[in-house]
Amino acid sequence: MILPGAGDPIIVQNITGRYGRLHAKLMLEYGTVVAAGATPGKGGQSVEGVPVFDTVAEAAERTGSVASVMFVPAEHALAAGEEALAAGVKTLVVITEHIPIRDTLRLLELAHAKGASIVGPNCPGVIVPSRGLKMGIMPAPSFAPGVVALFSRSGTLMYEIAGQLSGAGLGQSVAVGIGGDPVTGTTTSECLDFVEAMDETKAVVVVGEIGGDAEERLARHISKGRLTKPVVAYIAGRHAPKEKKLGHAGAIIYGNYGTAESKITALREAGARVATTPMEVPGLVRYALEGGSQ
Amino acid sequence: MRLYEFQAKGLFKSYGISVPRSILVDSPGAAVDAFSGLKHPVALKSQVLAGGRGKAGGIAVVNGPEEVRREAGRIFGLTIGGEKPSSLLVEEAFPHDREMYLSVTLDRGERAFVAIATAAGGIDVESASGKVVKKLPLGGINIEFAGDFAALLGLEGGTAGEFASVFLSLERLAREKDCELAEINPLAVGKDGSLVALDAKMILDDNALFRHPEFSKLHPEDEFEGEASRQGFAFVRLAGDIAVVGNGAGLVLSTLDLVGDQGGSPACFLDLGGGAQRDRIEAALRLVNRLPGVKKILINIYGGITRTTDVAVGIKTVLAEGPVKPVYARVSGAEESEARRLLEATPVRLFKSAPEAVRAVVEGI
Repeated sequence: MILPGAGDPIIVQNITGRYGRLHAKLMLEYGTVVAAGATPGKGGQSVEGVPVFDTVAEAAERTGSVASVMFVPAEHALAAGEEALAAGVKTLVVITEHIPIRDTLRLLELAHAKGASIVGPNCPGVIVPSRGLKMGIMPAPSFAPGVVALFSRSGTLMYEIAGQLSGAGLGQSVAVGIGGDPVTGTTTSECLDFVEAMDETKAVVVVGEIGGDAEERLARHISKGRLTKPVVAYIAGRHAPKEKKLGHAGAIIYGNYGTAESKITALREAGARVATTPMEVPGLVRYALEGGSQ
Repeated sequence: MRLYEFQAKGLFKSYGISVPRSILVDSPGAAVDAFSGLKHPVALKSQVLAGGRGKAGGIAVVNGPEEVRREAGRIFGLTIGGEKPSSLLVEEAFPHDREMYLSVTLDRGERAFVAIATAAGGIDVESASGKVVKKLPLGGINIEFAGDFAALLGLEGGTAGEFASVFLSLERLAREKDCELAEINPLAVGKDGSLVALDAKMILDDNALFRHPEFSKLHPEDEFEGEASRQGFAFVRLAGDIAVVGNGAGLVLSTLDLVGDQGGSPACFLDLGGGAQRDRIEAALRLVNRLPGVKKILINIYGGITRTTDVAVGIKTVLAEGPVKPVYARVSGAEESEARRLLEATPVRLFKSAPEAVRAVVEGI
């Protein structure tokens, strides 16, 4: 995962849409340098003082930006993502929900070939409070600068837990919305390698949920000793029924695949502390930071 | 979206995968008529989307008209996983030597579609030995790829060729129709080596339905599910009495856990989605208020950019329309104290944290 530094310019794709417009404003207010917008056919306009271009290539060329946040409707997300990657974007944050799985897979294949990283789809984006960097839709007041890295498959649950942490004086070094789809760009192991190398991160919080095996993979990653920082996890869906998609396309249990029990067990065995409710997270993080052994 | 067996088999046929001759009927009388036009014996197969229909008695092999009438009547009277069969597939039996398994499905961990097959056995592929799994290229496969897969399974001669052709067709079907799963279980091997799909399971990628208008209205929706989907809510009916409403899938999921931990039982999962403006709160509240079985309503909103005053006004509007089941709410975010003031003179119980609201709604205080 590659993230822009403080003051690096970013692009907002479909900045002229309702959400693009609103969040471009909120990102600017947070201190993020939204340097350009891109919407086909809307070149020459300006949104919140940000110039709009017809193509991502033009926006990237004029501003030197290699990062983009996409607010493009699902039907056009693949084309817009391909356009961004072809224009040299190296960090593509995809907020869009309801992208077909095969479109996401194509986008990931292309990103891999281009050496770019994709955050999302169906995610709230990325925030680095110390850099004033917000590429996404998360509410700024829930977040504060600090030493806890936060990764979450869910948006609002990420805000809720960030708010609890911030309220307890535990700010975040980085928070990444991984996304609620069955397949997402940022893998858990990528996230963990990223924070392992990030000096300011002293503890990691992982917010998982039912469906898939991302948490089990993460547990294996920890067991291999590739993450030396303490991990606190919270997994939503202990009381979820099987074979029902619960809000997120990825939140579904098939048989015994994707149950909360399996994830909680795997993480506990790997030495992570697992909270039973979101409210327990700050206490467990504080304990871990104060040197409680893993 | 899952397809019924008869729908999936219709697609199999149009992609060149052999299925037994069959007739779809909606009454025991029609089953008898269908029986007379088919080779005997036949299988009567209940058309339901729930799994485990065989174990639930939803399939019968029959050999005479009286037996057809009796068994069809019995199956139409069944409730399988909460579902009443609306139709029966009357299908010719296919005499066969052995059964294979073949599916094309998403492997989330591998972030790819894969083919899974077994050369022997079928039914319970999870525990099957000799299971072969191969990652599929996104752009599709060719005959060499399919032939290699058949060889990996240890197939030889005519069966290997037949299998490769079924595999090619199934992969193309899964890709062109945006299936999350296309499964043949069992794939029967006839005495002459021919392959016939005896059952068919297909799950479509809901997010790709815009590319496939032919599937858009395949199932009659539950009145409440239809309403929820028109409003853009993520909604799942559950068996309990507490309607759980919130903004964000993870937040609602975590609220279900809090309710469950306190010994309560949710009546539904309702995610309002992003924004959660006033009209959406109103629509959600109206929907869960008339949902059968609901005795209490729990609302959990973590307002990021949602203004909690909008939520409060929405709740007040619905309260003013008529009787509403007791509402327990946790509304956190911008303009919280103003929202609290707006709801002061109403019967709504407002709480500062989700656990407090959950405890109160479960205990009914």
